[in-house]
Amino acid sequence: MTISSMQGRPRGMSERLGRLNWAIITLLCTLAFVGVIMHFSVADGSWAGRPLSHGGRFAVVLALVIGVALLDARMWMAIAYPVYFGALVLLLGVEFMGETRMGATRWLSLGPLSMQPSEIMKIGIVLALARYYHNMDPRNAGTLLWSIPPLLMIAAPVALVMHQPDLGTSMLIAAAGVGIMFLAGLRWRYIIPAGVAAIGGAIAAYFFVLHQYQRDRINTFLNPDADPLGTGYHVAQSKIAIGSAGLFGKGYLQGTQSQGDFLPEKHTDFIFTMIGEEFGLIGAVAVLGMFFVLFLLTMQVSARARTMFGRLAAAGIGLTLALYVFINTSMVIGLIPVVGIPLPLISFGGTAMLTLMTGYAIVLSIDLHRDQSSTRGFLW
Amino acid sequence: MTTAKRDLHSVFNRRAILISGGSTVVMGAIVSRLAYLQAENLVTDTYTEEARDNRFDQRIIAPPRGILYDRFGEMLAVTSPDYRVFLIPEQVGLKNLEPTIRRVGEILGLPEDVIVRRLRDARGAKRSDPVIIRAGLRWDEFSAINVRLPELPGVRADASLIRRYPYDIAFAHPIGYVQKPNQAEVDAVIAEGDERRAVYLRNPDVRVGKSGLEASLEKTIHGEAGWRMVQVNAAGRVVDEIGGETREPVPGPGVVMTIDAECQRGAMERMAGMSGSCVVMDIVTGDLVVMASSPGFNPNEFVNGISPSRFRELNEDPYKPLFHKSVTGAYKPGSTFKICTGIAAVEAGLPENFRVNCPGYFPFGGRAFHCWKKGGHGTVDFHAAMKGSCNVFFYQAGLRAGQQRIADTARLLGLGQKYDIGVPSVVPGIVPDEAWWKTKRGNEPFPPGMILNTAIGQGDLLTTPLQLAVMMARVASGGKEVMPRLVREGPGIAPAKEARQLPVSADGIKRVLDGMFGVASEPGGTAFRTMGNLELWYDPATNKVVDAPTAPAGHKQVQVGGKTGTAQVRVITAAERGGGVKRNNDIDWKLRDHALFVCYGPVHNPRYACAIVIEHGGTDEERYPGTVGYIGGGSAAAAPIARDVMRLVLSRDPSAQPPANIATLEAGLRRPQTVKGRA
Repeated sequence: MTISSMQGRPRGMSERLGRLNWAIITLLCTLAFVGVIMHFSVADGSWAGRPLSHGGRFAVVLALVIGVALLDARMWMAIAYPVYFGALVLLLGVEFMGETRMGATRWLSLGPLSMQPSEIMKIGIVLALARYYHNMDPRNAGTLLWSIPPLLMIAAPVALVMHQPDLGTSMLIAAAGVGIMFLAGLRWRYIIPAGVAAIGGAIAAYFFVLHQYQRDRINTFLNPDADPLGTGYHVAQSKIAIGSAGLFGKGYLQGTQSQGDFLPEKHTDFIFTMIGEEFGLIGAVAVLGMFFVLFLLTMQVSARARTMFGRLAAAGIGLTLALYVFINTSMVIGLIPVVGIPLPLISFGGTAMLTLMTGYAIVLSIDLHRDQSSTRGFLW
Repeated sequence: MTTAKRDLHSVFNRRAILISGGSTVVMGAIVSRLAYLQAENLVTDTYTEEARDNRFDQRIIAPPRGILYDRFGEMLAVTSPDYRVFLIPEQVGLKNLEPTIRRVGEILGLPEDVIVRRLRDARGAKRSDPVIIRAGLRWDEFSAINVRLPELPGVRADASLIRRYPYDIAFAHPIGYVQKPNQAEVDAVIAEGDERRAVYLRNPDVRVGKSGLEASLEKTIHGEAGWRMVQVNAAGRVVDEIGGETREPVPGPGVVMTIDAECQRGAMERMAGMSGSCVVMDIVTGDLVVMASSPGFNPNEFVNGISPSRFRELNEDPYKPLFHKSVTGAYKPGSTFKICTGIAAVEAGLPENFRVNCPGYFPFGGRAFHCWKKGGHGTVDFHAAMKGSCNVFFYQAGLRAGQQRIADTARLLGLGQKYDIGVPSVVPGIVPDEAWWKTKRGNEPFPPGMILNTAIGQGDLLTTPLQLAVMMARVASGGKEVMPRLVREGPGIAPAKEARQLPVSADGIKRVLDGMFGVASEPGGTAFRTMGNLELWYDPATNKVVDAPTAPAGHKQVQVGGKTGTAQVRVITAAERGGGVKRNNDIDWKLRDHALFVCYGPVHNPRYACAIVIEHGGTDEERYPGTVGYIGGGSAAAAPIARDVMRLVLSRDPSAQPPANIATLEAGLRRPQTVKGRA
C-alpha cells in the first residue's frame, strides 16, 4: 500500500475491494479474534454462548462495514448533521421516556427495537464537528466566536448523557469533541486559559461549593483502594489478577482469579484483566500494541485524506478508539476510577462493537475515497 | 489550494502529531503501570498471596467425638461412618430435579412422601448447596447408588461421621444425644466474641452435645477439628478438592462411665411400659451402676434432626419419656423417709425399748393423723415399726427428733442437694425446716403439724431417685459420705476419693438397717414376699454368688434390706376417708400414688444401694395392654422391680469385676477415619 500505487479513483468493485485498507481490517479482525478466545476462556472452555456469538456478530458487522465502506465518502458528510440531530432527539427521548436498567436510564424502546442513543451520539458528534469545520475559513476556525457552536454541540449531548447517568460515555463524547476542536485549530490562547479555568473551577467547587457527603463520594470514587470490598472490589481483584500473573501469565484457561469468578464483569469491562492474568505482561502489552497500531493507522488515514471533513472525521474516530482503550485499561489497572467503558472489539456486547465498527466503516470509506491529488501523507 | 487552507492543514498536521505523541505517552503510562504491578508483586508477593487466599477456602472437618464406654468397655456412644446420598440442585438442573429424585427414591425404595419432601427441599435450597436425599444408608444401598452415579449427574454419595447410640433407648437419659447447634447457641458464641467457633458451629457436619453426658462432657470428648484447603470460586463453591493442604482432625478422647450396660438394659427392660426410675449405686465408690429412667427415647432419632411431629409426640406423652426422672423427677419419699426419721430419733435419744401403740391413727392438734393400716399395728417397737412401716410410731419418733434434727439428718444423708454427676437439669428437691419455711412463707407461723407429715415422708418433702439412692448408700455404708458419680475415667476426671465419715448416729444407722432387714428378709416385712428369697446364694468362703432355685451345698442365702414407700399424689379428704378410700384401681392413672422402694445388699457384705420410683404405682392398662395392672404401693409396684434389678446386680456383681481401662480400650482402637468426599 504505497502512495504511488494509489492512482485514480477506484472504479470496479473488485478494484475497490483491493484498495481497501486491509491493514486496518486485519487488525480489527485480530482484535475481535482475541475477544473470541477470551470469551472461550470466560466460558470455561466452551464454544457455546459468548465465544460463538461474539465471533458471529463480528463477522456480520465486518461484512456490513466493508459494504458500507465501498460507498462514496461524501455520503457521510451529507448525513453528518442528520445523524447528530437525530441522536440528540433520541437522547431527549431517553430523558423523558427511557427505560431504566441497572439504575441508569440509557435505553430507548422504539417498537421492537431497543437502543442506546448515546452510542449513536459517539459517531454523531465526530461527524457533525468534522462537518462543521469542513470548508470553514481557516482564519475563523480557531477563533472564540466560531468555537461557540461546536462547544454547544458538545455540551448538549454531554449534559443529557451525564444525566442518565453515564459518566463514561459523556466523558468519551466530550473528549472526542474537544479533541476535534483542538485538531481543527482552536488557538492555544483559548485552550490554556480554558484548561486552567476548568481545573481551577473544579478544585474551587470541591472545597467551597460541595457538601461534605458529596466530597466523600468523590474521594471514594477517586481512591477505590480505601473500600476494597465495596466500590474498590473490582479494581482490587483486577490488580491481584494482573499483579500475580507475571511476565508470561498463568496460561490460557488457567487464570485462577478469572476462572474462580473472583473477577467481576470479566466478559465485559474487565476482560483486559483476564488477558493480563492468562497471558501476562507480554500478552497485555501485545493487545495494547495492536490497539496502538490501529490508532496510528487511523491517524495515517486522517493525515492522507484530502478534505478537512475526512481528516477530522478519521482523526475523531481514531481518538474515540484511543479513548476507549485508554480509559478501559487505565481503570482496570487502577490508574483512574471505574467508569464503565468496555474494551472495544474484545469486550462482549453488541452496542460498543457496532459503534466502533461504524466508525471504522467511515475510516475505511475515507481512506478508499481519499483524493489522488492529495499527497500530504508526510507523516508516514 | 489556498495558503489559508494549507495553513489549516499544517496546523492540523502539527496537532495530529501532538495527539499521537500524547497517546504514546498515555500508552507508555499504562504499560509501565502494568509492569509496576508485576514488579511490585515480584518484590512483595502481595498479589500472588492474595490470589491464593482468594482461591482457597478452609473446609472444616468435624472430629470424631470421644467414645463413651460402660464400666467394662462396652461402647455406648460411638462415632461411625454415615453413608448418605445427596444432590446439588444446580448440577442436576431444575428440569431434571424431579426425575432424578424419583430415580434415587426408586433405587432406595423411598416412600412417596419422603420423595415429595426431598423434592420440596431441593427446590427451596440454595442452588449450590447440597440437599441430602437420604442419610444413614446401609452399605448395600450405598453401593447401589454408587454404581448408578454415572447415570445420575449432580447426585453424589459420600460418607460422613455420625454419632450412634447402639443401645438405643437404654442410655438416652444419662448419655443424652448430640444435635446440630441451633441458632441461639451460635448467637451466644458470637456474643462472646468467638467468631471462629461460630463459623465452626455453622458447619453442617458439626454436632454438639444437647443433653446428658454428651452436653456436660462436650469440651472433653469433642476432639479438635481438622481442616482441608479446597479451591473455590468467588461464590464459595468448591471447584477442586484435591491437593489442598490438610490437617486431620484429632478424635476426642474416650470416657469410661460407671454404668454396667447389662444392668442398665435389664432395668430399662424391667420398667418397660411404666413411668419411673431406677438408680443403683456402689456404696463404696459411689459408682452409679444403673441410672435408668423409663420410658426412654431413642437418641439416634435426634442426631440428624427429629421431625417436629415426632418431637411433639414425645414431649406430650403423659409418661414423659424426655424427662430424666432419676435426677429431675422430684417425688415425696413416702415411708422410705422413715430411714431419716428413725436415725434422727435415735440420735435425739429414743430409748432402746421405746414402744408405741398404734390404733390406726394419731390425734394431734385436734386432728387425727392416720396410719396406712386401718386397724392399726398394735404395740410396735422400732424394729416392728420399720418392718410394718407404722406411721403412728414414726409420728412419735418424729416428734422426739424435731423438725430441725430430721432435716439436718436428711441433708447429711444426701437429700435436698444437687449432685454434679455430669447431667443437666438436676433438681435439689426440698427438705423442709424452719429456715425453708421462712424463705417460702415469710412470717407465717411455722405449722406444728408439719413435723408429722415430714416424719412419714409426705408433706413438702421432695426427693429424686438419685438422692434416695445416695441416702441408701450412705446408710448402708455405715454413714460414709458417698458421692455419686457417672464417669469413672476420662480426661480431667479425678479418681474417687475415700468417703469421709458423716456425723450421724452409728446406733441409729444400725437400728434402721436392722429394721430394713426385717422389711425385706423377715416374714411379715412389707417387702418380704418379693425380696425374702432372691434365689441367689453365696459361698461364704469366696463370696461368689450363684443363681439357683435352691441353695447349693455350703452356700448361704443372699439377703437384702429395704424400705417401701408410697407417695400421695392426691390429698385424701376426710369425706373420702369416711366413705372408704378409693381403691387406686378405680381412679385415673395420673392421680394414683407413686410407688417407692429403697434397698441395699447383700446384707452380709453391703455393696449396692438401690432406689426405685414407679410413678402412679404401676402400668396403665389402657396404654400398655397386656401388662400387669395397677398393683398398689411400694411393696407391690416397686419392690418386684427392685427384686429383678437387684438379682441382676448382685449376681453380676460389677464392682467385683476388673473395670475397663481407658488406655487399653483406646490403644487397640481403629478410629473411624474421615472419608474424603468425592465418592
